Amino acid sequence: MRFYCDTLGLHVHKIETIQEQGVKAALLTVGDSEIELLQPVVPDTGVARYLERKGEGLHHICFQVDSVDGDLDALKAKGVELIDQQPRIGLAGRICFLHPNAMDGALVELCEPIDDAAVAG
Amino acid sequence: MSDGLTLDHVVIAVRDLDAATADYTALLGRQPSWRGEHPRYGTRNTLFKIENTYIELLALGGSGGGDGRWAGELSRHLETHGEGVYALALGTQHVDATVKEARHRGLDVLDPADGDGVDAVSGVRRHWRNAMVSPKSTNGTRVFFIQHKTLPGALPPSEPVALDGSCVTRMDHAVVLSPDMESSRRLWGQALGARLALDRTFPDRNTRILFFRLGDITIEISGGASQAKEGVGKPDRFWGMAWGVDNLAATCARLAAAGIEVSGPRPGIKPGTLVATAKGAATHGVATLLIEHTPDSFKPEARAAHGEAYDNAPQQRAFTVTGLDHVVVSTSDIEQTLAKWSSTLELYASETIEPAGAHLRLSKLPAGNAYVELLQPLTPDHRVAQRIAERGQGMFSISLAVDDIEAAVRDLRAKGVEVSDAEPGVWPGTRVARVNKAAANGVSVQLLQKSG
Repeated sequence: MRFYCDTLGLHVHKIETIQEQGVKAALLTVGDSEIELLQPVVPDTGVARYLERKGEGLHHICFQVDSVDGDLDALKAKGVELIDQQPRIGLAGRICFLHPNAMDGALVELCEPIDDAAVAG
Repeated sequence: MSDGLTLDHVVIAVRDLDAATADYTALLGRQPSWRGEHPRYGTRNTLFKIENTYIELLALGGSGGGDGRWAGELSRHLETHGEGVYALALGTQHVDATVKEARHRGLDVLDPADGDGVDAVSGVRRHWRNAMVSPKSTNGTRVFFIQHKTLPGALPPSEPVALDGSCVTRMDHAVVLSPDMESSRRLWGQALGARLALDRTFPDRNTRILFFRLGDITIEISGGASQAKEGVGKPDRFWGMAWGVDNLAATCARLAAAGIEVSGPRPGIKPGTLVATAKGAATHGVATLLIEHTPDSFKPEARAAHGEAYDNAPQQRAFTVTGLDHVVVSTSDIEQTLAKWSSTLELYASETIEPAGAHLRLSKLPAGNAYVELLQPLTPDHRVAQRIAERGQGMFSISLAVDDIEAAVRDLRAKGVEVSDAEPGVWPGTRVARVNKAAANGVSVQLLQKSG
């Protein structure tokens, strides 16, 4: 946060620990988009394993969608490899992750904002 | 004399140093930088170093008796006025020269003397040379000049207790109440040589305010709209402090949780600002305002509405990150990856280019307010190819739009961040600069300005 907040001057608009995913997450406003900083709080979660294997860095890209359910159905119908078969609740809304294999290595998240997370991208 | 005169620190007189330290740790959301004593003064203190100044809580006591003068003055002040802002310390590079000039301008200044303080935990000793201006010639307020003899690093920055923008980052302004505005105007403007940024009268509120600048901190002198005869020659009084925060809503929540009475946030007088007031015993007699300068407060209309007072607004940044321009995804086969993005996410390439000499193939996939750039290196020794070999294809970098890339590069370098010179980007009409990814937690960050 020292770099993103102090150096670049971005504002944190949400910070929370999500126990079931074992991460502490902060959302920073960047114009109409957001940067999410993720820190594992327990070992052996996806983010913790990523850090162990690759070190700190760019983790995934998240697109805002109108309906995670509708998109998940469409992706399943196309036979796209998924991490989440069902939507779950993330910091920014209802989310799901595609498997990186589906996108040649890029980890993609889809997010349907709920209530105060209306600006989530 | 205004050359180089800064607001070095503000001194708050307190009775119980331990209680005040705990209260200010909660109020500022910061751990003390220093807890020590002044062997020569017979006083003890706690310091909080923030971005543009430091805060000193000062109490009687300590192992050294000193010559009793400083302790005696503090003791009398506490008896007469109670706790609260005790003194403003004006920083100078050459205290002897400053004193000479101040005397020339009619101020009654005591001879400069060496002083020191020692931190109880680290044992670090800081040295300075300071000179007290007689309160008789400063309308009753206590002001002194200080020249530090120890490098600034001897006083470590105060660590924030939270990373949610709720902690005080800097001092915004100090407020002095004046029954004799003309005298105050002469003192701060002519005798102390601070720059007068605003002199405005608000008849509807029966108020006149003067803004004087010391570095990037404002001294606000507040008094009646018209000079009352009975006020002439009456002493000024330090009233309170305004502290800058990044996220005032978070500050209010943090203070409420800590049991500190707080009202707000509410809009401030200056358009685009939010303010809240902290009250009660935790402030130790200091009227305390918390202020957030939202990006709107830097817009020309906000400045126009408030006169030129904010021409060099204290919270103004050298540059602003205006948005996420694009995210770069690397691939070793752009056709194949493009097909996946199109079929899976229904994102399509609007353009594909091979910039001359770049050994890269790039596709732009617009997605709402930003775009995804697929990037294929065309030579095996390209840095993108090397990264793919090390970490695989996929997430590569992010590109943040800034309003002034030259200013951003200068500002980042001033903050010790390694960043490349701004140069034309691969997409026409852009200038880009790459931040060393070690500074950005391993993320390749590119700053970008559209020249169009």
